[in-house]
Amino acid sequence: MQLDLFALLQIPEQYIGMLQRYAAAMILLAILLMVTKWQGIGIGRKLIVGTIRGTIQIILMALILVYIFALSNLIVIFGVLTFMAVFAAYTTKSNLERIPGVMRATLPGILVGALSVMATTVALQIIDWQSSPGEFIIPMGGMLIGNCMGLTTLVIDRMWSNAQKQRPLLETALALGATPKQATELSIRESIRSGLLPNLNRYASLGIVSIPGLMSGMIIGGVNPLEAAIYQVIIFIMIFLSAMIASLITSHLFLREMFNERAQLTVPPPEL
Amino acid sequence: MSDSPILELEKVSMSFDGKQVLRDVSLILHQNETCGITGPSGCGKSTLLRIVNDLLSPISGTVRFQEKDVKEWDPQELRRRVVMVPQEAKMFPGTVRANLVWGLRVHGMAADDEQLKTILQEVQLWPIDLDGNAENLSGGQKQRVAIARALLLKPKVLLLDEPTSALDTESALAVEKTINDLLSDYKMAVLIVTHNKEQAKRFTSKIVELENLTEAS
Repeated sequence: MQLDLFALLQIPEQYIGMLQRYAAAMILLAILLMVTKWQGIGIGRKLIVGTIRGTIQIILMALILVYIFALSNLIVIFGVLTFMAVFAAYTTKSNLERIPGVMRATLPGILVGALSVMATTVALQIIDWQSSPGEFIIPMGGMLIGNCMGLTTLVIDRMWSNAQKQRPLLETALALGATPKQATELSIRESIRSGLLPNLNRYASLGIVSIPGLMSGMIIGGVNPLEAAIYQVIIFIMIFLSAMIASLITSHLFLREMFNERAQLTVPPPEL
Repeated sequence: MSDSPILELEKVSMSFDGKQVLRDVSLILHQNETCGITGPSGCGKSTLLRIVNDLLSPISGTVRFQEKDVKEWDPQELRRRVVMVPQEAKMFPGTVRANLVWGLRVHGMAADDEQLKTILQEVQLWPIDLDGNAENLSGGQKQRVAIARALLLKPKVLLLDEPTSALDTESALAVEKTINDLLSDYKMAVLIVTHNKEQAKRFTSKIVELENLTEAS
């Protein structure tokens, strides 16, 4: 019956197994949705939209990846990374829709954080990119952008919720003449630290617990395992540096959304 | 007493979400003066202090410190001179010492242990373990650390929001005496919000009584 349906839709046989696997994965998604609903975590809609959007995006990306990887012009390659960074910043905005001014703070952070580290790596030839620039720079840049996006989202979310929950402490600091930066430095520091923690865990257990995708992909692609391992360490350092730069820039810019020019807190109290 | 006022409020009004909480409040305060702000809860007493500290801007009216509109002051410089001690004495994570010097540190200043001991004696909180966790202090101890923290900045105007609400009568009287003694030393003025009319009469040289505008309307 099922095969008839595929035949009716004229789906080539090579895709049938793939679609069946995708459908089976939806069972896992359904379980995830049930658990989040049961626990009242409230991310069900985001998960569904994310799955649909993510599937479309990744299929399109897979289809054009072969052309992107073939790119050799550095300007065009960094243009692609810029587009990815803009999209990452837009994603932070949509995930934190209750908070104003997110993209104004995350876009410069992600752009500068990810692209400056990538450009430095290219300029110093830390990675051997000349043979196939697109193949190296775009996936590595994507990893940096993804991590910058994750950390900047966390920093903004934490800064905003701390300003709501710890309002009296924040105003105590301001009342003593602290600048917005001084008043929030502790929560910024904490959020950067906790945002980097998952990657620090992966870094500490590298090769024993976590077998990272970049290294696995390179080994599968026929690269010398030693070289692949060194690349993995390099990418971790790049991730930490870019995420740190991005979060510092973002937190600095986001202070403008939390305080006005008189250093008065403009974050509203939490909604009950 | 200097002739020119150190603090001047002229027809200050404030509203939140369309509800007026302060209407045309005017006040003049000179050096060495203490002024009590009293009134029923919800009448805007704390709001008034926050306006003077420039944590809030009034919808109309003017606040002048040392004859200059607060809007013309750099906010940090203003708040170093016009220091507010909020009603809820909040401690920053860390030791008692770190909390005491917090205000000084943000302005690039410091105090040695002898200065800390002196100020703590003045607020009746000596002896105390300066390296102890400030979060472990009692409500009354926190309140006194908060007052000491503000006094270390040697303010010109000290804004106190129910400063002795967590203190017993003896400690409250001691803190009042300390503040009165420091008035001339620091050449400062004190604006104190209190629901306790007795305290206002005993402690201050003038009293402003606010009415509850939301109830009145």
